[in-house]
Amino acid sequence: MAPKSKTTEKAVAAKKAVVKGIHGKKVTKVRTSTTFHRPNTLRLPRRPKYQRKSIPHAPRLDQYKVIIGPHSNESTMKKLEESNTIVFTVDIKANKRHIKDAFKSLYNVDVAKVTTLITPTGSKKAYIRLTSENDVLDVANRVGFI
Amino acid sequence: MPGVKAYTLREKSKADLEAQLVELKQELASLRAQKARGASATNLVRMHNVRKSIARVLTVINHQQRAQLRLFYKGKKYIPLDLRVKKTRAQRRQLTKHQKSLKTEKEKKKLTAFPQRKYALKA
Repeated sequence: MAPKSKTTEKAVAAKKAVVKGIHGKKVTKVRTSTTFHRPNTLRLPRRPKYQRKSIPHAPRLDQYKVIIGPHSNESTMKKLEESNTIVFTVDIKANKRHIKDAFKSLYNVDVAKVTTLITPTGSKKAYIRLTSENDVLDVANRVGFI
Repeated sequence: MPGVKAYTLREKSKADLEAQLVELKQELASLRAQKARGASATNLVRMHNVRKSIARVLTVINHQQRAQLRLFYKGKKYIPLDLRVKKTRAQRRQLTKHQKSLKTEKEKKKLTAFPQRKYALKA
């Protein structure tokens, strides 16, 4: 019967493999390049058994840290009235995006653009220009500028 | 103006503490703006108190979080490194008390067979 002969063939082949071992024929890889490149190996993702730090730190540069306080002298007053710009002392590590977001969230105004400079004394000064619809003087009053 | 007291903070919930933190930070921001204009002595004193209050609130928040985490990790094998015992590096690598007290079978048998004898002289 057909199924029986198949099974006997299988059985014979299995027996041969057990007796002789499977590594009878040596198979050499075909190398098409003279350089050997490291084969891709298994790369497992990290699955830590415990957190190294128990409490992840709160964001270190939050809005209150970014904006330090208003900077006021005659030239800033001029900027306030003429260019709709308010001048603030700001944390050195803050960038323009930080400053924009912090100002928006703290004072609820739209910021057109921010220019920054680092003063010779080592602090950062930010010239925050508000969009034309906002009244700078109003914001300045709220801030405590004037 | 003395600022917040730690024992009153410890009863508060985390949400309360964080709200208080925001309040204090806003107060500090307004004080700083006033300073830019020209500070009076009382303002400067208040600034100092507010900064220390912020520190107190953060400390209490931290304490609460760590205490909860220690409960969570109690009895577990792997704990975060900052919750582990600090001691010194060398002490952490020493044998534990139990490990030092272990004896071989041979030694145990010797001790049972030949314990330290006590003798007394008849007066």
